[in-house]
Amino acid sequence: MSSGFRSMHPTVAIVYYAGLVLFAALLFHPVYLMTELIGVLGLLLLQGQGKTLLRGLPFYLLMAGSVAVLNPFFSHRGSNILFYFMDQPVTLEAILYGLMMMLVLLTILIVFVSYNYTVTTDKFMYLFSSVAPKSALLTLMSLRFVPLFQRRLRQITEIQRTRGIDTSKGSVRKRMKDGMTLLKVLLTWSLEEALQTADSMKARGYGVSKRSSYANYKMDRQDIFVLVMLVVSGLIPLLGWLQGYGTMQIYPRLKPLEYTWQEAVVYASFCLFVLIPSGLEGKEKWIWRSSQRTGYPSAIPMKPGTRFMSSRSR
Amino acid sequence: MVLCGPSGCGKTTLLRHLKRELTPVGTGSGTVCYRGLPLGEWSPEIAAAEIGMVFQNPEAQIVMDTVWHELAFSMENLGYPLSVMRSRLAEIAGLFGLEPLLYKPVHELSGGQKQLLNLASVLVLQPKVLLLDEPTSQLDPIAAREFIQMLRRLNEEMSVTVIISEHRLEEVLPLADRVLMLEDGKLKAEGTPREIAVKLGGGAASPSDLAYFPAATRVYLGLTAEAALEGAGPIPLTVREGKQWLQREWRTDREGEGARPSAEHHSAAKEAGGSQRSSIPSDRPSEESVLAEEILKAREITFRYEKEGPEVLKKLSLSLFRGELLAILGGNGAGKSTLLHLLNGLAKPQRGRIDLAKGSSTGYLAQNPLLYFSQDTARAELRQMAEYGGLSATEAQEEIDGLLDIFELGELLERHPHDLSGGQQQKLALGMVLLLRPDILLLDEPTKGLDPAAKEKLASLLLHLRELGKSIIVVTHDVEFAASYATRCALLFDGGITAEGPPETFFSANYFYTTAVNRMVRDWLPQALTVEEVTRQWPAFASRS
Repeated sequence: MSSGFRSMHPTVAIVYYAGLVLFAALLFHPVYLMTELIGVLGLLLLQGQGKTLLRGLPFYLLMAGSVAVLNPFFSHRGSNILFYFMDQPVTLEAILYGLMMMLVLLTILIVFVSYNYTVTTDKFMYLFSSVAPKSALLTLMSLRFVPLFQRRLRQITEIQRTRGIDTSKGSVRKRMKDGMTLLKVLLTWSLEEALQTADSMKARGYGVSKRSSYANYKMDRQDIFVLVMLVVSGLIPLLGWLQGYGTMQIYPRLKPLEYTWQEAVVYASFCLFVLIPSGLEGKEKWIWRSSQRTGYPSAIPMKPGTRFMSSRSR
Repeated sequence: MVLCGPSGCGKTTLLRHLKRELTPVGTGSGTVCYRGLPLGEWSPEIAAAEIGMVFQNPEAQIVMDTVWHELAFSMENLGYPLSVMRSRLAEIAGLFGLEPLLYKPVHELSGGQKQLLNLASVLVLQPKVLLLDEPTSQLDPIAAREFIQMLRRLNEEMSVTVIISEHRLEEVLPLADRVLMLEDGKLKAEGTPREIAVKLGGGAASPSDLAYFPAATRVYLGLTAEAALEGAGPIPLTVREGKQWLQREWRTDREGEGARPSAEHHSAAKEAGGSQRSSIPSDRPSEESVLAEEILKAREITFRYEKEGPEVLKKLSLSLFRGELLAILGGNGAGKSTLLHLLNGLAKPQRGRIDLAKGSSTGYLAQNPLLYFSQDTARAELRQMAEYGGLSATEAQEEIDGLLDIFELGELLERHPHDLSGGQQQKLALGMVLLLRPDILLLDEPTKGLDPAAKEKLASLLLHLRELGKSIIVVTHDVEFAASYATRCALLFDGGITAEGPPETFFSANYFYTTAVNRMVRDWLPQALTVEEVTRQWPAFASRS
């Protein structure tokens, strides 16, 4: 199923996710990070990926949480010493830094959950093949081989068991030897087939002239519009970052956050960047919900007051 | 144009010479001309696009992972612009009905769908000549028929030249304009199908040559005297033509009587057929031997591959008697292979049980013989198997020698198993299974991809094994094979055995799922299934009525 942000051109998606990862790494600021985290979570929920997220969440929290807990015990930088633990100073800065690291990690992990859902292998290969067509073809072909080999190995194991070549019985030595035999069978068979594949490729003119690449994707006007929006709203925080906005200094000494109007502009632009896909997704949801509403004048006269025109649709 | 001839007669080599990219390495002489110019002088783009080729193995030809990508692959190679690719892909997908499959991964397709995809991905280049190397040999009959119909449409509607090499000519030959018969790298005969039939039917033909003809033609040739061959009406090629011819023949034999066979005649025919059967010594075993001891019995087995998956077999019951050859027929995905897996103990049913007679064992030959090979020579394969079977060195040597005699593999012992032909590989694998001395042989599609001569050899081999006291279950699509050599047939449908019986009753009860011969003569000889039976029974029947 693809709709909303997922149905957009792969370039748009890749720009968005690249931006998210970049900002998560660069903008070391709790407000920005929280905004990004909440934005991506919102997007995932809108895309109906709550379940996938929930399945992975314990693992992500454990990973990120352990960073937050461990950092103060290993880093002793900072000037505000809170207490001593086993004769080691535990500083406020180190705790805050650990919490920030946790946020960064969590954000990046969740960005990747969303990325996996939005940018499928197909889309990635499409983007990849416009950069490096030959390597992309090779990658695609090898990708096909992974499940193919698995299926074949299963067949081979089954049959070879009837002639005593079995990796689940016998001494370790015998098992290893049998394992190698099974792999050998797989390899000989597959190489044999690869020859035929090569013939088939040659017969269909592979390497005859420069390859073009077929694409299922077309840039439409909405794609271009969203892309421009993303680039512009992404450039502003980036330039701001170069000027020193959007970061928070913790080491060597915690500095209080400052609020200026420039900071506000950078933050607003950042918010726009993060929320554009959620906006698209939300708009689509809303259109479905209110599909009774006619968006354009219809030739069919609509009489007011019939029972089909319920109060909700008006 | 149809190329035919036994395995290894040079069909593939000839086809490869017609396709420039695949011309085999070696010394050659003579030229191949395409539209008046030697093939080598055309630009590589034209050579690739205008001459398309489809190979035997549906799986190995596929390059990409999804259907749309596979279709686009050849066009990408030739660097077509995007708009051209889009429209051609749309066109071809529509023609072949591939739209619902467009985004599917290739491995989810059935064999027939894969081969259609291969054809489609060649056709997107709009070739003028199509070369096909035994394209249907790995397909089941229904998929094969579909494939041939597609070729016929291409040939008739788009006037694509089609050159096809084929073992199974029942469907192809009636469509052919020209037939070339090869033998040992030489052209043996050439002409329209009817000319070839006259030429080869005129006495000089060996039975193995005749095996290439459709059933109708073989019946005709079997019944018509050699002298009458010349100048007789057109030789029938299809079941319909065959039936029309028989009707005419029958009428002239019975001048003065009613033109249409009435119900009376029907029963008379049946009687005639029946009595004829009993008086003729048959190669089928008589009823008594069928009622022998039960050697394998499956009782109400139910099986599914995954917990949530559909039931492949549903309360299936089946028994096998000692010394018989049971043919199990059924459509694709009916669960035939699964049943063999279960009977061989490779998988366990969730319900029901499978009982073997005391002290007996099963041997299983899978569809793909390559799965069996793990050593470097055929000899090593057999040795390893004998060792595993627990035979002592001398015993093993004796057994192996005996098998080599039966299987005619003597000269091939030092060859690598992968260098053998398909039929030889299968024989080797069967030999390996036999070294375990099973009492019951389970064979999965043993006739797939074999030429008629090899099929006959396999049949006599199975007969020989039965004489040695083995019982055999063959799972097959090949109706003609089952009709000629099985002692009992069973139809697997919807997870259970829906019909079962000796071939004569089994097939004569079927309307579609029966041999071409039977479909042709069923109005007169409802129990006749093979050409031999008709040739034996018809003259007596015709003269009696």
